[in-house]
Amino acid sequence: MIGTIARKEILANLLSYKFYVVILLAAVLVGTSLFIMARDFKDRQADYGLIRPKPGEPIAVNPPNPLAVFAKGLDESMARSYEIGPTGITVRAGQKSGNAVFALFPTPDFLFIVRVVLSLVALLFGFDQISREKEGGTLRLMLANPASRGAVLLGKWLGNFISLAAPFLLVTGLGVAVLSLDPAIRFSPDQSLRLILILALALLYIALFLSLGMLVSALTRRASSSLVILLFAWALLVFVLPNLGTLAARQIVDVPSVRALSEKRQQIWTREILLRIRGQGDWASHVKAISAENDALEADYRLKFDRLVALSKNINRVSPVASFVYAATEIAGTGIGEEGALKKEVVRYKNRLIDRSLASPEGAGAGDPAFRYAYRPLDRVLAAGALFDIAWLAACGILFFALSYVAFVRYDVR
Amino acid sequence: MFRAIVGKEILGNILSFRFVVTLALLLVVVPVATFVLTGDYLKKISDASLRQAEIETYLRSYAHFNRIGNILQAAMPPLPAESLVRGLTADINISEFDNDPLPVMFPLVDLVFVVTILMSLVALIFAYDAVSGEKEDGTLKLMLANGLARPKVILAKIVGGGLTLLVPYVMALIVGLLVILVQPGVGWAGADWAALGLITLGTVLYVMLFYALGVFVSARHQASSASIMTSLLVWVLIVLVVPSLSPYVASFLAPTPSRIQVEREAQRLGDTERDDLGRKLEAERLRELAAKYPILAEEMSEADRKRLMERDPAAREAMEARRKAVQGAWDEANRVQGEKITAVRSAAAKKDAAQTALARTISMISPLAVFTYLATDLTSTGMKNQEYFGRMRGEWGRDFWAYARKKMAELQAKDPATDWWNTAVDMSDRPRFAFKEEPLGGRVQAALPGFLLLAGYGLVFFALAYVSFLRYDVR
Repeated sequence: MIGTIARKEILANLLSYKFYVVILLAAVLVGTSLFIMARDFKDRQADYGLIRPKPGEPIAVNPPNPLAVFAKGLDESMARSYEIGPTGITVRAGQKSGNAVFALFPTPDFLFIVRVVLSLVALLFGFDQISREKEGGTLRLMLANPASRGAVLLGKWLGNFISLAAPFLLVTGLGVAVLSLDPAIRFSPDQSLRLILILALALLYIALFLSLGMLVSALTRRASSSLVILLFAWALLVFVLPNLGTLAARQIVDVPSVRALSEKRQQIWTREILLRIRGQGDWASHVKAISAENDALEADYRLKFDRLVALSKNINRVSPVASFVYAATEIAGTGIGEEGALKKEVVRYKNRLIDRSLASPEGAGAGDPAFRYAYRPLDRVLAAGALFDIAWLAACGILFFALSYVAFVRYDVR
Repeated sequence: MFRAIVGKEILGNILSFRFVVTLALLLVVVPVATFVLTGDYLKKISDASLRQAEIETYLRSYAHFNRIGNILQAAMPPLPAESLVRGLTADINISEFDNDPLPVMFPLVDLVFVVTILMSLVALIFAYDAVSGEKEDGTLKLMLANGLARPKVILAKIVGGGLTLLVPYVMALIVGLLVILVQPGVGWAGADWAALGLITLGTVLYVMLFYALGVFVSARHQASSASIMTSLLVWVLIVLVVPSLSPYVASFLAPTPSRIQVEREAQRLGDTERDDLGRKLEAERLRELAAKYPILAEEMSEADRKRLMERDPAAREAMEARRKAVQGAWDEANRVQGEKITAVRSAAAKKDAAQTALARTISMISPLAVFTYLATDLTSTGMKNQEYFGRMRGEWGRDFWAYARKKMAELQAKDPATDWWNTAVDMSDRPRFAFKEEPLGGRVQAALPGFLLLAGYGLVFFALAYVSFLRYDVR
């Protein structure tokens, strides 16, 4: 019975205007986004070819991450150049910092398309599932057959999920296939696995919004009110809640501003140079003092910042959309956790170079080891919170479906 | 008759379920957002004064002219308008080690967001069945069976519908303003109110534009369920996609040289290459001097040289000439390399500016981008202000270095041993950077094309709605 209803839903979708508009939109957007972000990745990779340190140069640069094509996250900041000198780390930012328009609008990556557009599409598939058939009078006919309400609901859900997921996977698969033909974009086996995980996560996310759509549909009498409620809920979940949490957390946890930190660092090294000119202490002790004070600043900031991130994450997770973004970026290796790990690695690299140059001042720079950042392995990423986010996403989806079952059982189908 | 239809539209909307939901949503989102943003603004103010105090403390102990270039930096102070419009004021700090990743991951919710995303969505939700819905209900043909011209009906629908939309917005904004103004430490000047008034005018144009768009789409469809699909599709494209794509498209069409490479090159020119040139020039000039003052060529210890200078006026003159030659050589090296750096930087900056201008132009296909530029430029939180701030910073820098040269000359007149590197100077009388917002006139001038563009888009959508409605089959 479930199969029959699912098949009916798929056929009904295939014949509807909505299906074509929505699928066309999603296909065009996924395709455009992959094309644009792949081009962006290649540009950044070419840039990396120009700025990558020569052997022996005390510079740490992490190459752009090919998974940033799907989830850009913080890759821009992770691919900066960290130049290590006795007075600290000089950081240079890439291309995007020269054009303020980049900062005004969100990045149109695959994650954005899924997060904003596909969630909307899923709601448009779900919003009239029950109320439309009621208005059309077919709902009572269907239930006059020996079909349980649970079976009808599940059949509807499955049919719609398949008619959403199949074209989505098709388009994305095509996009990935075209990308993998490009010799400039290479995914390692580990990255391919991560990509599959991200796609699975996207399906979970779509399922969640479909369930939400069916829930509201089962709670309302008319399709038009269901749509109005859903569009407002969508705006809240996708745009408002995840973004307010970050600022709210900032008012609870006291974190020094990034500008204050930068100024502090400038003061530290300038002071030490002056003390050196006045002839107090030798060079090595000043370099050590600069390095130690900077590290103390960083350690203190990290501690507070991690607390801020943890709190803001927990507030933002009220909306499962935030969970989706956190999990997808962390799995792609462009999330907040990965960025912090990279910075920690840069600081460690700086200390190693400074120790070496102080140990043998004349041979400084000659045989400096090159910087190489190894991304955290997938199991650690999952353990560090991504798994929780995935579970939360799944739990919300199941909850919405269960509630829609409850609502549908009580629904007056006449 | 026209007034009767406007009245009917307004009443119909106000009594509808979506009106209640819109009002509730806006009454929650706007006050919460303004509350959080104002808290953040107040926090930024206290942070700015703390930072200023740190700099003052530092300068009391370590103020040397050649060592404070990186300490005394002009910084943009927080502006009162930031409790409503954030624009580019997020402290991302991407070119420093301490950057803030959070605003990159989750952009802020401010008034611009409320207008551009929420209000445009609301406008479409109200407008999608303006024509097709009445047709489905059968009231459209009844209405037109009276002695009513179609143009009047469509105009009345757009005016009445657009006006009702503004009611919940204005109510939410008033509550939001109360939330801002009851917090101590927030002071709004006349210009801030004027800017808010102009932004509200822009909001009217923006909402009307989307309402007209919704009516246009509605008049193209026979069924309102199809009309909402098309409306949402168009909305996603022009509100969400076009602005985000525009900077990327611009960066492909007008590429810029690698920024990191340019910066490294500038540093190399000002550092190692300048030192090489300075040493070379110094050696050349000293060789010339040695021919004139043989005494300079002699090897002697610092103490012997001092003693000799005290005894022998000729030696003193020679040493003075030597000091001048060294200073001259390094000034020359600084000048030559400084010109090179300026050339490299300005070439890159020109390309950056060209790309930015292109991105801005492309993005203006979308009314969202037009409104964003308009609102951020009016409140000094946008790209126009970045340029203005850059100019102010440049002026202050020139003032400061003029002051530094004057101060140095005074100090050297008192004590010839004073130099730029090693002498601590009391700089408490230095010119301080005080940011003054650009006068409202200039900001309005920058925003004017935005107003015209929004009005133009609105007229186009209105004309399209009008034509479609004339051809509409009302049966």
